[in-house]
Amino acid sequence: MSTALKSRLAAAGSALRERDVDGTTLLLAACFVPMLAFFVVVWVIPIVYALGMSLFASPVRNPEFVGLGNYAELLGNGAFWGFLWNSVVYAVATTGLSLVIGLGLALVINQRIRGGDALRTLMIFPYLLPTLVVIFMWKFILDPNIGILNQFLVDAGLIDKPIAFFSTLEFAMPAVVVTSVWKFASFAFFILLARLQAIDPDLYERARVEGATTWQAFRDITFPHLRGAILIILLVRGIWMFNKFDIIYLSTRGGPLQQTTTLPIRVYQLAFSEVNFGMATALAGVMFFLLAGVAVVYFRAFAPEKEVA
Amino acid sequence: MATSIHLDTVRKEFRTLGNTHVAVDDLSLDIPEGSFTTFVGPSGCGKTTTLRMLAGLETPTSGTVSFGDEDVTDLPPQERNVSMVFQSIALYPHMSVRENIGYGLKIHGVPKAERDERIDEAAEVLQIEAQLEKMPAELSGGQQQRVALGGAFVQDPDVLLLDEPMSDLDAKLKSDLRVEIQRLHQELDTTVVYVTHDQTEAMTMSDQVVLLRDGELAQVDPPKQLFDYPNSEYVAQFIGMPSTNVVDCAVEHRDGETVLVGPGFELSLPAGVDAPTAGRVRLGIRPQYLDVGSAGACRLSVDVEVVETLGTESVVHGRLEDGTPFDVVSDAVDDAVAGDRLDVSFDLADAFVFGEDGETILFGSERAGERSSSPAGTGGVTP
Amino acid sequence: MATSTGRSLVSHDTQKRLQRIAVYLTALLISVFTIIPVYVMVVIAIQSPATTFAGGRVNLLPTQPSLRNFLVLLGSTDTVRYFVNSLVVTLGSTVLSTTIAVAAGYGLTRFDFTGKSLAARAVLFSYMFSPIVLAIPLYVVFSTLGLLNSHFALTLALTAISAPFCIWLMWQYFQTVPIALEESAWVRGASRWRTVRDVVLPVARPGYISAAIFAFAVAWNDFTMARVVMSRDEMYTITVGASLFLDRVSIGWGETMAVSLLISIPPFLIALFLQRYLLQGFSVGGLE
Repeated sequence: MSTALKSRLAAAGSALRERDVDGTTLLLAACFVPMLAFFVVVWVIPIVYALGMSLFASPVRNPEFVGLGNYAELLGNGAFWGFLWNSVVYAVATTGLSLVIGLGLALVINQRIRGGDALRTLMIFPYLLPTLVVIFMWKFILDPNIGILNQFLVDAGLIDKPIAFFSTLEFAMPAVVVTSVWKFASFAFFILLARLQAIDPDLYERARVEGATTWQAFRDITFPHLRGAILIILLVRGIWMFNKFDIIYLSTRGGPLQQTTTLPIRVYQLAFSEVNFGMATALAGVMFFLLAGVAVVYFRAFAPEKEVA
Repeated sequence: MATSIHLDTVRKEFRTLGNTHVAVDDLSLDIPEGSFTTFVGPSGCGKTTTLRMLAGLETPTSGTVSFGDEDVTDLPPQERNVSMVFQSIALYPHMSVRENIGYGLKIHGVPKAERDERIDEAAEVLQIEAQLEKMPAELSGGQQQRVALGGAFVQDPDVLLLDEPMSDLDAKLKSDLRVEIQRLHQELDTTVVYVTHDQTEAMTMSDQVVLLRDGELAQVDPPKQLFDYPNSEYVAQFIGMPSTNVVDCAVEHRDGETVLVGPGFELSLPAGVDAPTAGRVRLGIRPQYLDVGSAGACRLSVDVEVVETLGTESVVHGRLEDGTPFDVVSDAVDDAVAGDRLDVSFDLADAFVFGEDGETILFGSERAGERSSSPAGTGGVTP
Repeated sequence: MATSTGRSLVSHDTQKRLQRIAVYLTALLISVFTIIPVYVMVVIAIQSPATTFAGGRVNLLPTQPSLRNFLVLLGSTDTVRYFVNSLVVTLGSTVLSTTIAVAAGYGLTRFDFTGKSLAARAVLFSYMFSPIVLAIPLYVVFSTLGLLNSHFALTLALTAISAPFCIWLMWQYFQTVPIALEESAWVRGASRWRTVRDVVLPVARPGYISAAIFAFAVAWNDFTMARVVMSRDEMYTITVGASLFLDRVSIGWGETMAVSLLISIPPFLIALFLQRYLLQGFSVGGLE
């Protein structure tokens, strides 16, 4: 390049740079404007609007400001605590069982067993299959008239007559839990498998050389590496299960006799069956603050934002 | 077309969460047109930051950078005719070797035919013709390095910047590429600025070595000058392998003569030396300049701890009687073992005297005429 | 090792063998637990109900495959329209979510600004958020704006639940892309935009394929948002539409499993061909 051309370019360059010749400002805008606009439109505005709504009685038809009246009514009602309890039971049972199964399978596949890759592929299906499909499968298997589980149990002489699992008081919750665990165990499995495969094999070699038994190696090497992931699964998966709507709604609609009515089911009922948006938004508000509380614990305990910022 | 580079009181600060870190402090420097200049120093000394300011990837907090007469301080990298080879090599994983080398030409709108011609030429020089259609992931580390070099010089830059380009290569490849890079420099009309923490690379390749310390200029000189006339204890210790021995000495006056008293030896300074008349100084003596036996004027004993055999010569790591670590390089110590006491000697001509502030106050060779023993070629700096 | 085997009752080899058996047994049990429901679905879908329920019992060894169930779906239900609705909103929200995520992930990684950890927490909080708790406010807003029963509203709603994770994933992904790749392009004369086009986007491809898969899975799986936003039959997505099949007298298990099989095709293809991208998503947290 000739010197003359270059100095001309340079002069033009510094002039243009005042007006952002390399497009950095524009790039900055292109990166952040969509995200910010999106968050404001689908998160901030709706949530603020709904929180505002929760302060009114019948906010849609003839709004009447009641302050925290909806909240007081909600929390003062014994039924709320029952639904909260159902949510906790469901969350604890599904998260716990998923973790046990997921951990077991992750440990098994990490042994490099024959067919391990196929089994891993297989485990993707429950996670990817839409909830509706999972419900159909299990409704069929657990069906009192034609379900194959009942057929099997009766044939084996374990029960006298078929059980309507999803609509019997004592079996409804366990049936929903089994269905949920079938779908969500692979979540724990994949996360734990990723962690297991990240452990340096030399650590095990070293433990063996130093005389550790299989159990000691698990306790002193495997478990410490998994502990963080296990806690995160318990916490995040726990929150998600606590807030799970579709799988319960599709299997029992909260019945029988509200035996499986959790807070998410109750929100839906309040809004769309009872068309009481004051109470529905108040309950959504309560769930929002519960979630925020757990998030604070999560951020304090794990500082997950450190991974990126 | 090669250009000279001038840095004038360049300062670079990084601010993070209220902390201000000064990476480069008041650096003024001239790099001659067409020269091979190496920035060397321990990690964190500001050498890479300086290089990045030359590339335009960082803007100085204050001071100016010019290429020739042109002030480029605020010019973005796109508008400087520089090329850079990164420490991480930074080949585009989704482009073939050919595309990688030719990317800069493509940006500048060079037509495909001419591009290919220049890429082929570069590939031939670097002996990677056979790899042109491969993807970077298929190449060995040394080949990747050559591709990165090709991508840099195919653009015919005024300034070629290399940021520790060999830090991940093994010793054999390093020495091959060192030759390659020097050959390229001779063929190309370009100013090369090379950053490394490896003083061997700095000493063997450069016309001029810039040694930095905590963002400040410690010394800038041709390699030989830097080795023989380090202007401070820091430079003396950084340049040369093993490091220069440094021994605390007391200064005494006897009969009008200045005598340095160290652990187990005394060294008289000739009259007229501009040394402190009392107090303490530090005496520097390169391990290569020690003679086993008593040929030198000043004798001392070393308690041997470890002996490393390097083939033709050995490195003895030991201590003086007061515990000061002291190394000796010699071809006459093959049979030394740990626990031995080794008698060595040296002449004033081979010593440096450092003041308490670390500055060199006396080069022995300037006072005692020519060296009595000189290092064998560059063997003195080869590890 | 010697001390532990010395004390145990069974030999080291036997221990190893027992351990091996336990490992395979666990694998077998879980495989069976996973496969049976899928198998049942497939068999019932590809047999006519007459064959399946012949003799008053469920016959699960396919003897006479038939397309009868699928033909009934085509002939007497709106399955096709439901699928079209699903595809429209799923593709829409996949593109939207991935685009937002790539842009945001790049910007969040490459630009410095104060409050980065706050931004990270906001993304994570929305990532943990409950779809139903978001669905109620969205319903209220869409209803006020008259946007209920529109593909647009459902696309936004689905993007709302998939975007946070996609942003998180891309944010993490861009951290692994060395800035030197971009700097090397700048030094060679490429503008920031040109660099984004020539270097950043191609290098980030595995990341955004992963993000797109998760966005797709969320939208394709979704029942909650579609249930809340769509109340008119002709706007139902396949999951909402099919969920009502069992309430109809005219539709039995055969057709239900047939539609389930059809819904399962996209996830099946993903599991088979795009597995590694999915696993990559799990390494940074996975999704609801």
